[in-house]
Amino acid sequence: MSPFESGIVGVIVFFVLLILKMPIAYAMSLVGFLGLSYLVSPSTAFRVVARETYATFSSYSLSVIPMFVLMGFLAFHSGIGTRLYAFVYKLIGHMPGGLAIATQATCAIFGAVCGSNTATAATIGAIALPEMKKYDYAPSLSTASVAAGGALGVLIPPSVIFIIYGISTEQSIEMLFLAGIIPGFLLMAFYMFTIYYLARRNPSIGPAGPKASWGERFKALRGGLWEVLVVFAISLGGLFAGWFTPTEAGAVGAFGVLVLTALARTLNFEKFRRALTDSTRTTAMIMLLVAGAVIFGRFIAMSRIPFELASWAGGLALPPAAVMAIILSIYLVLGFFIDALALILLTIPIFYPVAVTTLGYDPLWFGVIIVMVVAMGVITPPVGMNVYIIKGVAKDVPLEVIFKGIWPFLIALIACIALLIMFPQITTFLPGLF
Amino acid sequence: MEYFTRFTAKLSTYLDRAAGWLMVSVMLLVVSNVLSGGILNSPILGTYEYVGFITAMFIGLSIAYCALQDFHIAVGFLLEKLPPRIQRIVDVLTGTVSLVFLSLTAWHIANYARSMVITGEVSPTTRTPFYPFIYVVAFGFLVLSLVVLSKLIESIRKVVKE
Repeated sequence: MSPFESGIVGVIVFFVLLILKMPIAYAMSLVGFLGLSYLVSPSTAFRVVARETYATFSSYSLSVIPMFVLMGFLAFHSGIGTRLYAFVYKLIGHMPGGLAIATQATCAIFGAVCGSNTATAATIGAIALPEMKKYDYAPSLSTASVAAGGALGVLIPPSVIFIIYGISTEQSIEMLFLAGIIPGFLLMAFYMFTIYYLARRNPSIGPAGPKASWGERFKALRGGLWEVLVVFAISLGGLFAGWFTPTEAGAVGAFGVLVLTALARTLNFEKFRRALTDSTRTTAMIMLLVAGAVIFGRFIAMSRIPFELASWAGGLALPPAAVMAIILSIYLVLGFFIDALALILLTIPIFYPVAVTTLGYDPLWFGVIIVMVVAMGVITPPVGMNVYIIKGVAKDVPLEVIFKGIWPFLIALIACIALLIMFPQITTFLPGLF
Repeated sequence: MEYFTRFTAKLSTYLDRAAGWLMVSVMLLVVSNVLSGGILNSPILGTYEYVGFITAMFIGLSIAYCALQDFHIAVGFLLEKLPPRIQRIVDVLTGTVSLVFLSLTAWHIANYARSMVITGEVSPTTRTPFYPFIYVVAFGFLVLSLVVLSKLIESIRKVVKE
């Protein structure tokens, strides 16, 4: 077999292992190992596995991930999610579909710190779905709004996916964070408008709640909520202003949330311990995936697949936009099956050189677009992952009802992606200011 | 066998707790460095290196617990469409392959640590040897293999029972 053919076989074997339910992290490093063994030698392959695994685990630049994850789980276990939801609801709950609209904002903020589509959908689903049921929301609207909103956070800083994209493509994490802000909030606004429009047209699916007074709204900010919002602002503000490295921003944020929630007595020792366990577990999951992807990436690079693919794409008589469309449709299809984080790690060594080096697309823009397309995969029928997660939380709602509710959100998402493709400035504007 | 399952579960849980405190120490180290660098203008020497060392340790120590809780992402829904008996047999197959690969990985990471002992490689700023941290990661993979083994035994039992 030529290196290229062995690469193709490797990718096929990887997908077979995936279908057989082997954890993605093991499958990536196993296939990477087997491929390197075939192309070089088993002893070299084992050396690569050992070295790259330790190098990934001990990397200073990747140590930003556990810090932001810890900040997120401290905020979560101290009940910030619930209070955030209550506050946003007091602010906009009197609008038609207000609870579902508030869910979008909560998903965006929680998803940003947590960085996983599926975890956000599950967590916010558990908070928001019972509330929406209490206020007689139509199940198709309530479940679909959480499934769609679950994928929002990956665009809004601090996003773990952007950190990983930045490190593996040698792009600045700050710039990627900045690039994601406007598209993330734009998509959130699109979703909110979709809900408002649906609830306006048919008020029975999202009845308006009682209007809260400004006094009540300010009261909802108390109990540790506004302090934590300030810590978020300092941590991210310090990062953008260049005072902190990403790891420092994460550590300062986690420390600030820890101190403030402990002082406000919303975090006790038991909750602190749970936050630690959730953080180490999530970090272990992410870092083992990253290590696997690094090993897999070494094999893919050696198989010359990216090179062959890039020269093939460069030699095509198609305009760059058409090649980009093909790449995006591949992402969409894979996004049906694979978690966004794993998918991005897996495909960057293959597609990044084609899109950025050969076709000349902006690396920040490409990062934002693929994250959005992957977000589309997790809610698209018939296999969208987030829909199944929500089905797990709302056991009494049939799957077809959730999928029926997803369509308007899917249309909003497609419209948003189209807008970003037509006007790349939406993505590149903020990073351009710095 | 019951004893082995309980032992691996307990061991990985304790290691994960230790990992949690190590993670807190990284946070405290980085914050102290920011404060002493920003206020006193004297950053803590070697922060950069120790963040890497401790992070490697706590990730190594938590991968087993993550597997115990079935938290490493896998794509389940295609397999779940098949009859339960076939699912269990596939579980035994992938479990065996994972076990062999992960225990070999543990072994080779330990080898890598040993090579670091022999070459005497140390970090540039604090002149700390690398090998103890690499051994901790190797140990993490060993415990991960034990967790995978105990899950494999569980699946084999289910197949035999049917």
